Amino acid sequence: MRRLLTIPFALALTVSAALADPVSGGKLDLIVQPEPPSVMIGITTNGPALLVGGNIYESLLRYDENLKPMPSLAKSWETSEDGLTYTFHLQEGVKWHDGKPMTSADVMFSVEDFLMKLQPRHRNLMSHVAKVVAPDDNTVVFTLKEPFEAFIRGFAFYTMPIVPKHIYEGTDYQTNPANEKLIGTGPYKFAEWKRGSYIKLVKNEDYYLPGKPYIDELYYHVIPDGASRAVAYETGQVSVLPGGSVENFDIPRLSKLANTCTTEKGWEYFAPLSWLWLNNRKPPMDNVKFRQAVMFALDREFAKDVLWNGYGKVSTGPISSKVPFYANVGPSYPHDPAKAKALLKEMGYDGKPLKLLPLPYGETWQRWAEAVKQNLADVGIPVEIESTDVAGWNQKTSQWDYDIAFTYLYQNGDPAIGVDRNYKSSQIAKGNPFNNVEGYSNPEVDKLFTEAAVAFPAAKRQELYDKVQAKLREDVPVAWLLELGFPTIYNCNVENPISTASGLPNSLRDAWIKK
Amino acid sequence: MTRFLAGRLVRAVFILLVITVSNFFLIHAAPGDPAAVMAGESGDADPQFLEQLRERFGLDKPLYVQLGIYVSHVVRLDLGYSYRQQLPVLDLILERLPATLLLSLSAFAVSLGLGILAGAMAAARQGRLSDTLISLFALIFYATPLFWLALMAVLLFSIELGWLPGFGYETVGAGYAGFARALDIAKHLVLPAMTLGLFFMAVYVRMTRASMLEVSQMDFVKTAKAKGLRPRVIQRRHVLRNALLPVVTLAGLQAGQLVGGAVLIETVFAWPGIGRLMFEALSQRDYNLLLGVFVVSAAMVLLFNLITDVLYRFVDPRIRVAS
Amino acid sequence: MTEFWKRFSKHRGAVAGLVILFLIVLLAVLAPFLFPKSPWAMVQRPFLPPFENATYFLGTDTMGRDLASGLAHGAYVSLLVGLVSTVVSLLIGIPIGALAGYFGGIVDDVLMRFTELFQSVPSFALAVVLVAIFQPSITSIVVAIAIVSWPPVARLLRGEVMSLKSRDFVDAAVLSGQRSFTIIWRQILPNTLSPIIVLASMMVAAAILVESALSFMGLGDANVMSWGYIIGAGRTVIRQAWWVSFFPGVAILLTVLALNLVGEGLNDALNPRLSRKGRQA
Repeated sequence: MRRLLTIPFALALTVSAALADPVSGGKLDLIVQPEPPSVMIGITTNGPALLVGGNIYESLLRYDENLKPMPSLAKSWETSEDGLTYTFHLQEGVKWHDGKPMTSADVMFSVEDFLMKLQPRHRNLMSHVAKVVAPDDNTVVFTLKEPFEAFIRGFAFYTMPIVPKHIYEGTDYQTNPANEKLIGTGPYKFAEWKRGSYIKLVKNEDYYLPGKPYIDELYYHVIPDGASRAVAYETGQVSVLPGGSVENFDIPRLSKLANTCTTEKGWEYFAPLSWLWLNNRKPPMDNVKFRQAVMFALDREFAKDVLWNGYGKVSTGPISSKVPFYANVGPSYPHDPAKAKALLKEMGYDGKPLKLLPLPYGETWQRWAEAVKQNLADVGIPVEIESTDVAGWNQKTSQWDYDIAFTYLYQNGDPAIGVDRNYKSSQIAKGNPFNNVEGYSNPEVDKLFTEAAVAFPAAKRQELYDKVQAKLREDVPVAWLLELGFPTIYNCNVENPISTASGLPNSLRDAWIKK
Repeated sequence: MTRFLAGRLVRAVFILLVITVSNFFLIHAAPGDPAAVMAGESGDADPQFLEQLRERFGLDKPLYVQLGIYVSHVVRLDLGYSYRQQLPVLDLILERLPATLLLSLSAFAVSLGLGILAGAMAAARQGRLSDTLISLFALIFYATPLFWLALMAVLLFSIELGWLPGFGYETVGAGYAGFARALDIAKHLVLPAMTLGLFFMAVYVRMTRASMLEVSQMDFVKTAKAKGLRPRVIQRRHVLRNALLPVVTLAGLQAGQLVGGAVLIETVFAWPGIGRLMFEALSQRDYNLLLGVFVVSAAMVLLFNLITDVLYRFVDPRIRVAS
Repeated sequence: MTEFWKRFSKHRGAVAGLVILFLIVLLAVLAPFLFPKSPWAMVQRPFLPPFENATYFLGTDTMGRDLASGLAHGAYVSLLVGLVSTVVSLLIGIPIGALAGYFGGIVDDVLMRFTELFQSVPSFALAVVLVAIFQPSITSIVVAIAIVSWPPVARLLRGEVMSLKSRDFVDAAVLSGQRSFTIIWRQILPNTLSPIIVLASMMVAAAILVESALSFMGLGDANVMSWGYIIGAGRTVIRQAWWVSFFPGVAILLTVLALNLVGEGLNDALNPRLSRKGRQA
């Protein structure tokens, strides 16, 4: 009745086997920016927390650059033919950092209790699940309510980190002192956090993969100023600059330094896509011609080449080309000011000035807002930039108090997880900057997205996603900008720093330092 | 003296209290709250998530209740918990305070020492080339943006020349201890302390010079000259000593202000002090932490002022401090 | 007036400062004519070094905007921020200082405690907090600078008024039955003008510095191109394009220097007696 669909264990190991013989030892200095509030990634899931915490906690699966699942805490798994049952077999001999064994009870506790209480993303995923059972210490079985093909991509280290039951059960999870001590199963153990300076992790000697990890100590340095972070790399005080930790303008210079390697890999799972929220509730953004005019007015190639140094890709529509079910269908929008002007004339735009809310994440975004302002001014749309900080930006977007606003969001491996939330009318709700903030509402799109999420098998989903992508590209509910590229810059002596679709955060398990 | 001190202390406590209350309202006037910031960073949120956070932080209570709770804690010297880091605010501040004090006090010592020296030299050579040069440099340092100077200093001394570390408090993971560690920290201290100190040094140079020139016009100096004392002795014993009074007063007032300048310098040099802590708390809307930094830095300013007053009273008994 | 000039021009630095200041004001006023295009317009390739292209002789910034145009338009903004915030802080500081000095007693006590409040918080830190809370805009920046810089004005005024209060002409006015506010306005304030002018010139300089520091911290108004804004935007590229933050840095240095020199000259010229106080503030 059941058929083994995936995955021969050995296949996943080919990545590291292909390289020269790894050697153990050494210390690695990285940047973490900004300093995270905590690195307990079951509670705090911002980027910097993941970068560090992903080495301490693990989930059942890891993903390769094409988002194919690989073993992590689960050594193998099966999916039933009807797409309803997922059975995971756990690795044997896994120990928590305090020496206690990790079993299916910990998985059950994490999935059904801990993460349900704390993680909105997890609650969403679990809404597809009818029940979870653990027939023995090494097996966990998920039964779905209906087929949900995206489910297999929901076991990433940060969407479903497994946390220790014996430490958290019966306590207040948020205030448990263990959040400072951090007990996980990962390749590195938490050692020390000197706030404002660095976080130190050390090798987990009892890791369940023999020989791994290779590096003895990891230091994540906190350096608040972008220019100083670049200097830290130049002077050799740190040897890995994770994506996004230096200003884009520094990247060409740094990547030319001696013995420096650069890679864009390790962002395939996140697949960050940037766009402009266009507040569909207000004129003139309620007019589809105006929204199309904005698309034609934007010089996205310039943004990519000048502001992002050629990294990333001009976006074609709502789904990133790195994510499954992407299709290049429907109208496209090259930089064409004349066409933009014609559209504006056609709709009778009155030249009403609009407000533009930049993303408060540093200089590149600030410059980008200035460039967009010029682009729009060139076709006759006067724009004023509203400066704000992170809290103000969240407040304004989540309360719909904006005309045009920058954003970028992760697509998290599947359109049903990270894309439809931005376009379905059921996702219009104040107070959340990550849902359908633009207020776009189209029953046809709603229907297509809903069906596509639960259609089975994948080919059926592809058909539906093709339709919805074409429709959205016609309607332009938001103005898509770039699929962002965040190159990791590192000293070439560091081998294999990125081994999954989530890059450095998941994890430095396979990395080693050349002697 | 006791009465004077007691009066000053009561006043300081009163000022601290008013600062606490007004800053409390000020901070809550900012758009967004810590829950929104944390939700924003997590990349995903639903109403339940935000509610949980707000409840945990006590932000679901009316503002006046929150104020009441906060003030009742502060009077017991309890600054509360940082929302974000889930640690006592006082611990976080105390962890960072030594770095800021080290930076500010060394900048203070350097600027006051060199400032008085250069100012006195300039005054003694009034009108000559060295006076003009000293005055000119003082003016230039006075007019240069601090952060600009910091950037240039890093470019020159740590990147081009490689003499000094350009950022941080100490070499992380080097495992230094004892004297080696002190030396390491001292090396890291040079650039930020010098940059922060230069501006204030310029102020003291100009004041010392002006003050000395003024004092040397006074009757008692003329008398000393008439008595036939050597000029050098007059300069040192009579002029400098008296001219220093206003300089020291100003320095005392400014010692607290150094913390303000430290915000900038700590950012450029990645110095883990409370200036940076404040800026981070501000952008994260970590109300308790931000208020805590304000209360502590205001307390420091008031303390410095008090010390200045007391010193003044000792140095120059003619002055009625209470006035 | 001639007497004033004679004394002012004795201070050679002050004359030099005045010339520099005049040139900068001229640049600010003529900016729209010299550089009719918006300073935000992207006109050339990014990172064009200075002195390579005759039209864009100071080079371009990260996005290919003309730096010379930015400097000229920025002169206007920076001077305006300096002037307006100084006027605002005078408007706060003068009444408070005058009232405290004139009435003394409990009024003085209350007002001085109030002033002390503002002096007990590190001023740059307070400015940062104010701008961040009210969100960066040219108005919030001006207001924040004014709020942190009025206390010295109040203290200076208080001292001046206290010493003037006991003069004969004030006694005469009191005896002639004039109201207190009339006396302050007509008799006392005009006599405090010279130290205020001296202090104000230095405050404009300080305000320009604070504005640039705020911009550096990322708290500038993104719609107006001030010098501080250009430096703030240029600092991340300082290694590739030193000129982007170098030229506006020099412009700030020169302006602040000029203002301070003029202030000193005014001090010497207007009121030699007050030279010490002027410098302390």
